[in-house]
Amino acid sequence: MILIEAGEISERGMDAKLIVADQLSRLGHRVVLDDRTLPPDLGRHHAYEAAPFAADLSGLALDHLLMLGAETLTDEILLRLRTLDLAPDARMTALGRFGDVQARISAQSRLAFAACREPDIIDLNELIGPGFPDRAMTPLCTRIAHRDPARPPRLALVLTQECFEDPSILLPDLAVMDAMPDYSLVVIAPGQAKTQIMQSAWSGLRVLNFSELMPTALARRLDAVAFLGDAVPGERMATLAIEVLGRGGVVLDATGPGILAGAGAPIVRVPAALAALDAHLRRLVLPNLAEIGRRNLQDDWLVRRDLKHLERALGLEPARRDSVTDQPRRTLFFPTNGVGLGHARRAVLVAGEVQRGEQPVFAAFPSCVDLVRQSGFPCLPLVQRSDRQPQEHANDILTWLRLRRVLRRGDRLVFDGGYVFDSVHRVIHERDLDAVWIRRGLFQPGAGTPASADRASDFRAVIVPSEAFDELNAPVTGLQRVHRVGPIVDLADPMGADERETRRSELSRQLGRGFDQLVVSMLGAGVAADRSAQLQLIAALCDGQPGCLHLAIIWPGGAVPPGLSRWPSTRVVQTRHALALCRIADAVVSAAGYNSFHELLYHRVPAIFIPQMAPFMDDQERRTRAAADRGLAVTVGADEFLQLERELVTFLRGETAGRLAQALASVTLPAPGTRDAARIVCGDDAEAGGWA
Amino acid sequence: MLQRAMAQGPARQTRIAYAIDPRFPGGTSSAVAAELGAVAGMASVRVHPVHSRMFRDRPVSPRLAECLASLGIALAAEGETIRGDLVILHNPACLKFQDQAGFQIIARHLVVVTHENFLRPGDAPSFDVAKCLGQIDRASLCARKSLAPISAVNRASIQSWARTNDLPAGWDLLPEDWFNICDAPLRPATDRPRDRRGRHSRPGLEKFPPLRDLELCFPAHAESNVILGADLLMRLPELPTHWRLYPFGGLDLSRYFEMIDFLPYFTSPMWRESYGRVLAEGVAAGKVVLSDPQTAMTFQGAVVATTPAGVDGIIARMIADPGLYRAQVAEGQEIIARHGAGQFRALLERLFPDLFPTRLERVS
Repeated sequence: MILIEAGEISERGMDAKLIVADQLSRLGHRVVLDDRTLPPDLGRHHAYEAAPFAADLSGLALDHLLMLGAETLTDEILLRLRTLDLAPDARMTALGRFGDVQARISAQSRLAFAACREPDIIDLNELIGPGFPDRAMTPLCTRIAHRDPARPPRLALVLTQECFEDPSILLPDLAVMDAMPDYSLVVIAPGQAKTQIMQSAWSGLRVLNFSELMPTALARRLDAVAFLGDAVPGERMATLAIEVLGRGGVVLDATGPGILAGAGAPIVRVPAALAALDAHLRRLVLPNLAEIGRRNLQDDWLVRRDLKHLERALGLEPARRDSVTDQPRRTLFFPTNGVGLGHARRAVLVAGEVQRGEQPVFAAFPSCVDLVRQSGFPCLPLVQRSDRQPQEHANDILTWLRLRRVLRRGDRLVFDGGYVFDSVHRVIHERDLDAVWIRRGLFQPGAGTPASADRASDFRAVIVPSEAFDELNAPVTGLQRVHRVGPIVDLADPMGADERETRRSELSRQLGRGFDQLVVSMLGAGVAADRSAQLQLIAALCDGQPGCLHLAIIWPGGAVPPGLSRWPSTRVVQTRHALALCRIADAVVSAAGYNSFHELLYHRVPAIFIPQMAPFMDDQERRTRAAADRGLAVTVGADEFLQLERELVTFLRGETAGRLAQALASVTLPAPGTRDAARIVCGDDAEAGGWA
Repeated sequence: MLQRAMAQGPARQTRIAYAIDPRFPGGTSSAVAAELGAVAGMASVRVHPVHSRMFRDRPVSPRLAECLASLGIALAAEGETIRGDLVILHNPACLKFQDQAGFQIIARHLVVVTHENFLRPGDAPSFDVAKCLGQIDRASLCARKSLAPISAVNRASIQSWARTNDLPAGWDLLPEDWFNICDAPLRPATDRPRDRRGRHSRPGLEKFPPLRDLELCFPAHAESNVILGADLLMRLPELPTHWRLYPFGGLDLSRYFEMIDFLPYFTSPMWRESYGRVLAEGVAAGKVVLSDPQTAMTFQGAVVATTPAGVDGIIARMIADPGLYRAQVAEGQEIIARHGAGQFRALLERLFPDLFPTRLERVS
């Protein structure tokens, strides 16, 4: 186990530790960071990156201490070394860029005094040559492995904050480049600049900030990176440049002073002006990208920076890594939990169609685990977000750790959710996943571009399941590679009158209670809206109807309104067979989430809908109104208690239900899109769905 | 005629020039101050400041300033050529952060007193010796250039270094050690030693052993444990509550010595004292001083050689037998007394017979 430390406690030191930990762990070495060295105000991105390595050192067998930036040793770090409980035979190696012999001796002596053992000193300037910037604490090495560029090539522009002094010129130029079909563009900029872009009219640009992804992960999906501005903005971006070169990519120096080209690296000098850069790229660089990359890999400057030299200098035996080439690609579905179970149910349906070719697996939050497993899929449980967690992203860090543990390079990830978590964003890049996003539409008016639009390009395809009614299928803006498919809905076999009676009898037997009329309510989990009053009203009404049974279906994790189960004619039920119950009911009162709504509609079940509305949800009011306007359902507002009472009573008299059933029987609905979605997931895009 | 000539002394007094960075803290400045006091009566003494890059923002050592004032010696102007029959440059390590000496030396004999070991335990270099000696060599025009080790340990480190590195051409090693003068008054040992332990040093981590060894030297069962110069230790998150920690200079030395009877002194195993002035001070103050065998060797029995694990047993025996304690202190002080100013003057006369001819007694 290698403990990685840095000579100073700073953001630079933290970055260096994380980059080296990432690089060595990718070579198969076990590395650890002392969790006491993590600053209390650790940034969000650093928190993710540190999580796989941070540990309480007590009880760990540390056989190697690797000190970065040995030329910057502070008393604080030296004192920490003094308290480390290293094994007597543990090695200590220090990396540094020393100005002269004395600087090297000073570093060696100070480390020896502090740790009470002699360190091995490696002068990076001697081993691999100068860095850029000169004093880089990060070794600036890479694992050299050739890879052909993608088509179209993927280009990153790294911009410093100074580049954003006049966004009215810069952003339109970027937008023009973004529209070019010759390459796929991503902008890498400081956090402040990213915010600037996302709030501008050019928010459709794909933008990452400097610390959003590890340079290794970022480089995996890049074929070329161009640096603009007056400097290389920090060691992360310098590492990105090296990593891109190491993968056979091309680094372009569009800095004013030509900083990179002057460092002796195999870097192509290009015009600093964006307008000129685009033409230069398309005419001169991109046609020769593969050849430039191949030559780069043979350049002495790069060969010297092969990570294996550092590995050897550190005395590390190259770790044996399992070959994954023979293992079949795995498809993992990750539905977010949302308000109810809609994402999980939709994902299960699509996975069911995929299953014919391969065996999908799931990762899901606790409320969805049973549903997934009972549907026949293995499921990795995730940890749900909680207010008791120290940071809002604490559970997502765990999600990320679990996803990266089970997913291998090139696996497939199908995410169903509205917001692309950092965990998803990161693991897609780190494992170079073939990713698909199932993202239902019908956002509320004014919601604008969804918060995750900038992450849409992480995915090979964005599947948008249609609504049943055309006016609800607004064009999707701000996203690329969008495929619209028919409604993804679970279709059960038709049920005749005899079967319906048989099932009602069976239910009666199971519950030990006879009934003449059955009312089923499905009013959500209580997260988006409190429906206690409506449930109490339905229970009271049913109690007043002789022979009436009310089944109140509560989603896993949902709140049960106090006293509800004390109504004699009401039973509180948790089931994954809600649809089956609805199909044998005399009246259904339901929220209008995508799945419930479409399942009731496609199974021609008359229903009273009470839409749930919250700012983060879909527009259930429009959905129910579309059905009501066609005479296919009844809609009752959340605060319309008298109307709810009236509609339910009418329903139980059989009047409304009959009228609705007649209309439902004759309506033509679009063909379900579950199979199309599955084909898109499997990469058969040409045959499935259509560009939206 | 002869009588007259003898009464007048030598035709020209020997000129000794000192080259020293006057901002050295601790042992080096203390040693030079004591040495100036001893030499002042033997020769004409001039002191040249060397403003090295090692101590950019530090003031002149108070101990040295006080000494110069008492001797009526003013520091020579910076940049003035350092001339003398004998030029003594103390602690060449002060030049390790620069490439040019910034001074010129013209002398019959240049002596460079090596206050720091050239190699650490394990033979790792202590500082860039070649760089420092090279600067001095290039800056000096002298008939003879010598290195003067300050102890046997120090001498061994120089010899070991010279086996794998080249001394500048023409340099030699003086045959006797240029010991530090211990002029501290000798205090009697207590009749009833108690388990009161203490140590003092500058606060650098090289001066302190691993924490587990420090705990062995200053255990909870001791009556008291005083650690002076614990500036860095005090910043550690979890420390034994039975240690009384004081920063460097946070306690008057005489008060500190009143608080202790035993002085266990161990350093980081990766560093070694070239002389160990604090140990001599402890013996002079009437304390039993314990240290590792290599460090104790400089004091030829005045310091008890042991290990951190052996400290407890020795202290227990001496508390049980105060006679043993008193005998150790007495013997130690007798040895320390051999490091006095008179012995140092005699050393100079032996080392430089042509500069300090044996004095003739006046006859009338």
